[in-house]
Amino acid sequence: MPDKRNTLVNTALLGLLVLATIISLATGTVQVSLFDTLRALAGHADPMTDFVINELRLSRVNAGLLSGAALAMAGCLMQTLARNRLATPGIIGIDNAATAFAVASVVGVGLSLAPSAMALAGAAAATAIAFGLAGANGTRGYRFIVAGIGIGAIAGAVTQVMLSRVAIDAANAAYPWTVGSLNARSGQSVLVLGIGLAAGYLVLMSLSRALNTLQFTDAVAIALGTRLKATRIIGLGLSVMLTGLAVSVCGPVGLIALLAPELARALCRPGKVPLTAAALAGASFMLVADLLGRTLFAPLEIPVGIITAIVGSPYLLWILLRPSPRSLT
Amino acid sequence: MLNALSPTSVVASRAFFPPLLAAGFLLLLVVLASLLYGAGPVSASDAMAALMANGTEEAWFVVTELRLPRTIIALITGLALGLAGALLQSMTRNPLAEPGLLGVSAGSGFAVALAILLGATTATLTTLSAQLGALAGCALVIAATRVQGLGNDPVRLVLAGATMTGLLLALTSMLMLMDQRAADEIRFWITGSVAGKPLSMLWATLPSITLALVLIAIVARPLAAMALGEKAAVGLGHHPGRIRFLITFTVALLVGSATALAGPLIFVGLVVPFIARAFSGPDIRKTLWLCVPVGPAVVLGADVLSRLIAAPAEMPLGVVTALIGAPVLLAIVRAGRMPSL
Repeated sequence: MPDKRNTLVNTALLGLLVLATIISLATGTVQVSLFDTLRALAGHADPMTDFVINELRLSRVNAGLLSGAALAMAGCLMQTLARNRLATPGIIGIDNAATAFAVASVVGVGLSLAPSAMALAGAAAATAIAFGLAGANGTRGYRFIVAGIGIGAIAGAVTQVMLSRVAIDAANAAYPWTVGSLNARSGQSVLVLGIGLAAGYLVLMSLSRALNTLQFTDAVAIALGTRLKATRIIGLGLSVMLTGLAVSVCGPVGLIALLAPELARALCRPGKVPLTAAALAGASFMLVADLLGRTLFAPLEIPVGIITAIVGSPYLLWILLRPSPRSLT
Repeated sequence: MLNALSPTSVVASRAFFPPLLAAGFLLLLVVLASLLYGAGPVSASDAMAALMANGTEEAWFVVTELRLPRTIIALITGLALGLAGALLQSMTRNPLAEPGLLGVSAGSGFAVALAILLGATTATLTTLSAQLGALAGCALVIAATRVQGLGNDPVRLVLAGATMTGLLLALTSMLMLMDQRAADEIRFWITGSVAGKPLSMLWATLPSITLALVLIAIVARPLAAMALGEKAAVGLGHHPGRIRFLITFTVALLVGSATALAGPLIFVGLVVPFIARAFSGPDIRKTLWLCVPVGPAVVLGADVLSRLIAAPAEMPLGVVTALIGAPVLLAIVRAGRMPSL
C-alpha cells in the first residue's frame, strides 16, 4: 500500500536526482547551458554539443547513477538483514575483496574472466568468510565488523601486491580505480550492472513485505508468516551481487552504502525498509561527489572515492563516538 | 601431576627467562638471515664468506652497505612499534589498541606527506613532522577513549580508528594528486618499506628513541600499578593523569620515529604485544621486556619474507605485515571472549 509520506520523499529524491544528472551533464571542461543540455538529450542540438553530452558525459553519468544506486541498495539491504546499521558492504570488507579479485582479472594472473564476474566472486568470498568467522554470533555485535576490517586489510594488501608486480604504467592506470573512480569503467560492466540492478530491484520489491518484518525479532517475523531463512539468503545474495557489480564499474567507493540509507531512513516513514529512497539518494550522492571531484580542483580530477571518504568519514565517526548511540545493536 | 598444584610450579609455568632467551636467539637467526638472503647476485654462501672476512669485494659491499643498514632500520622500527603497541594497549586496557589500527600511524603518515608536499627533504624535518602527526593522532585516541562507554568497548574504538585511518588516507591521496613530484616520493614511502633508507634517517630518530626508552623505564612501574585499577594506583602513590600524559608522549615519539623510518606499518603493534603477552602473562613490565626481542624479530622476519616471496622483485614490507597481522586480529576477535587487559 503506497503511503503519502514515502511517495512524497521518493518524488523529492527523484527530482533531486534529475537535477544532479542534468548539472553533471552540463558541467565540465566545456560548459554547456542547462537548456542546451536538455536539447542535446532530446537530440536537437548542434553536433558539437551533442557529441560532448551524449558521447562523452552521458556514459560517465550513467555509470555513476547505476553504481551509486546499487551500492546504496546493497547497503540498505545488508543493514536490514544484519539489524545493524554499521553492517554495510564497505565496512565489512566486501568492497576491498571485490576490488582485489577484479584487479586480479585486470592484471591477469592466469585468469581471463571479465572483471564483473571476478568482482562478484570476490564479494561472495568475503561475505562467506565474514559470516564464517562471526560464527554463532551471526551478524550481531561488532565481532562481525572487526572480522570484516581484517578481511578488508588482507584484500587491500593483496591488491597492492598484484599492482606492484605489473608494469608501472598499468599500475598507474589501475590506481584511480582502486580508490574508487568513474574513469576506468568499461561499457560492458556498466551494462551488466544495469541489468543486475533492474533484476535485483524487481526481486526486492516482491520481497518488501518480508523485509519489513525483519525489523522485528525473529519470533515476531516468523509469526507474521515470513520465511526467515529464504529471505535472508536471497537478500544477502542480492546485496553481494549489487556490491560486486557496482565495484566492477566504479571501484570501492566507500560510505555511500552507509550514508544513503541513513538519509533515506531519516526521511521516510519508520517501519518500512526504504530501498527505493536509498537507491535514489545513493545515485544522487555518487553524481554530486563525482561532480565535486571533477570541478573542485579542475583541471585536476579527484577520484570520487576520495571525496566520499572525506565527506562520509566524519559522519561515521560521529555515529561511533557519540556518547549515547541510538540503535547500534 | 601433584607438583602442578604447588605454588612454585605455578610460578615456573610463567617462567620468564626461557621465552626471553628463545626470542633473543630467534632474533639472532633472523638478523643472520637478513644479512645472508636478499636481492642481487650475492648468494647466501658468498655473503657468509664476506661476514667471515674472506669474501669478494662485491659481497662485502652488498652485505655491509646495503643489507646491514636495512637490517638495523628494520630492528629499530620493530622495537619502536612493538613497545608502542604494548604501552597503548596497557594504558587503554584494550587488546586491539594498536597505533596502526587506531589511526596514529595514518596521522603520522599524513603529516609527513604534508611536509613533503611543502618541500621538506631533510631527515630531521620528516621525523619531526611524523612525530607531531603521531602526537595529534594519540591525543585523538585518548580523547576518544574518554568518551563515555567507548573506553570499555574495544571494538567500537577500533572501528572509529579504521574510519579515521580511511579519512587520513583519503586526504593523503588528495595531497598526492596535487603535486606529481611529491606524489612519487610519498608513494615510495607510504606502502611501508625499510629498503634503501639512508642511515641518516636513523641518526635523526635515535635521540627520540633513546628518550622514549628512558621514559618507558620511568613509567613501567606506575603503569603496572595502574593495571590494578586507578584507585589502587593512586593509593600506591602514583598520578594516573601524569602517567597517561607521559605514555601518550612516549607512544607518539616511538610511532613517529618508526613511521619516519619505514612508513606507516599497520598491525605490528598488534602482533608483537600479542605474542609477548602469551608468554609473559599480565605483568606489563615483563611484556615490555619481551617486546624488545620480539618486535625487531617480527619486523625483520617480515622484511626477509618480503625479499624471498617475490624474488627477484620485492614486496612492500607493509603488505607482508598486513598479511601476517590481519589473521592475528581475526584470531583475537574470534576468541571465545574478548580478552580484557
